[in-house]
Amino acid sequence: MTFVELEHTADVMIRVSARSYEELFLEAARALMTVMYGATAEGTVCCDVNVDSADQEGLIHDFLSEVLYLSEVNSIVFFSGTVRIQDNTLSGILCGGTFDPEKHRGGSEVKGISYSGLKIVKEHENYILDVIFDV
Amino acid sequence: MIPGVKKIGPYQWEVPVGYVPDMKVPGRFFLSDELAPTLEEGAVRQLANVATMPGIVRNSLAMPDIHWGYGFPIGGVAAFDMQNGVISPGGVGFDINCGVRLMTTPLTEKDLPGKRDLIERLFGAVPTGVGAKSTRRLSSKELEGMLQSGAEWAVEQGFGIRQDIDRCEENGCMDRTDLSAVSGKARQRGMPQSGTLGSGNHFLEIQVVREIIDEDAASRFGVEKGQVCIMIHCGSRGLGHQVCTDHLKVLEGAAKKYGIRLPDRQLACAPVNSPEGKAYFGAMAASANYAWANRQIIMHTTRDVIGKMFHIDEEEMPLVYDVAHNVAKIEEHMVDRHKMTLCVHRKGATRAFGPGSPDLPPDFRTVGQPVIIPGSMGTSSFLLHGTAAAMELTFGSTCHGSGRVMSRSSAKKKITGQEVKAALAREGIIVRAHSDSAIADEAPEVYKPSEEVVRVVHEAGISRIVARLEPLGVIKG
Repeated sequence: MTFVELEHTADVMIRVSARSYEELFLEAARALMTVMYGATAEGTVCCDVNVDSADQEGLIHDFLSEVLYLSEVNSIVFFSGTVRIQDNTLSGILCGGTFDPEKHRGGSEVKGISYSGLKIVKEHENYILDVIFDV
Repeated sequence: MIPGVKKIGPYQWEVPVGYVPDMKVPGRFFLSDELAPTLEEGAVRQLANVATMPGIVRNSLAMPDIHWGYGFPIGGVAAFDMQNGVISPGGVGFDINCGVRLMTTPLTEKDLPGKRDLIERLFGAVPTGVGAKSTRRLSSKELEGMLQSGAEWAVEQGFGIRQDIDRCEENGCMDRTDLSAVSGKARQRGMPQSGTLGSGNHFLEIQVVREIIDEDAASRFGVEKGQVCIMIHCGSRGLGHQVCTDHLKVLEGAAKKYGIRLPDRQLACAPVNSPEGKAYFGAMAASANYAWANRQIIMHTTRDVIGKMFHIDEEEMPLVYDVAHNVAKIEEHMVDRHKMTLCVHRKGATRAFGPGSPDLPPDFRTVGQPVIIPGSMGTSSFLLHGTAAAMELTFGSTCHGSGRVMSRSSAKKKITGQEVKAALAREGIIVRAHSDSAIADEAPEVYKPSEEVVRVVHEAGISRIVARLEPLGVIKG
């Protein structure tokens, strides 16, 4: 697992780590799915994702907000994907399996992605993200 | 107590100007000595951060269920001047008009030997949990009706009775909506979720009125000892969440445009009367209306189940009141003996207007507004009334719940959902949820004791206890 849950009283605070900046976004999306559904789902249902933001923190915030929206309206639990990031613009594709109430009700509905406490740092060879999900 | 915080009364504490840079007014919160060890430094810092925002009037406030949130602390209240002040989604939260309603029934505990059957029927009728969708598919026109007219729209559609509308804060419908500020994405999320409970701390609970503390107020509110009641806690679902997300982005840009410096990006804001501020207010008001209609539909479904099971008419199950606890409102308040129009933000705080308020239904005007404070699954909930002291001290506000003291990850390490269920079953409380993990997340131990939180607001005078209700069965979202 490339994310851990940190202590936060009201909401869910997670720390995600990845070897590359792009991978950090995909790992964060997988963490979001795990918090929401208690699991991810391998599958071949895919969606395009496109986000344009003012800065690095804005981009991860807006990307995760978009993942939340795409997952809810398309009933997809995302597992994998590819993203390209250039100058705080992201485009890519996310894939996963269809939401199954029998398998995917082990988590907590995430209401939104918070800016409070959000940060991305690079430590040695790893990118590390701290982010709070409002549940 | 956290260094730098001063006690200024038996239940009042002050966070002085200077606790964080650029504070314009002091912070104030209500807490007992018993609850003081539960206070987190992060929550105090968030309270102080709010005091840096432009146009804040008198104090940045927090109720005794204060805890560390995002943007404002949970339990936070702040009022802003309409001329120089701001509006911020960080002072409302993602779940716009998350709120609570309380409905009475003519049943008593002895009518419920088949309580489990009732819980199962309600669980089958009200969509709950992650990914739950409504059995009704709203048309675009119906969704617009919901956004424009709230509880009134729901009653017009046959989900309830006219009297329900008078028993909702704002009559279940805020004006100044701006439907053009509700995005296509928000509408897409709201369309399949009308009448759904959601997840997390949302619930539908069967309760019994165990104790009446204020006979006169209880009688005005139509509540008596031994009566079985239903409490419903939920909000504006994905539609409100998306409205918050959409406008946060706009208001971030607006804060820069208007030269507003903020200590936390989640406090993104704009002047109340700027185009960006007005657009957020209009979309937030529409989302609040969605939430009122949503709770109205869930109550109607509940009445239908109980009505069929016990052969009772819906008129015999009146709504006591419905309160919003995540919202911003334009209200008039007396400040230094002058009447001011203010934008009052309540994030995890309940309006508690005192006697004489013209915003209350005529039969509640001598008592004050009913205030509904849910406990956690195993602990008491309370019915209170608003007071004149609340109007003076807190812009007519009080607490909204117990307030968490333990993270979800710690809760899961300490106790399983099965253990919580078994412990509550020993006390005669039946819990039903789609997942054990949802039950562990909301175990009674993760919250401050509801009795103590309510005792603080009662003793501080910002609302007064009317009745205590105990849980009999819970449907968790």
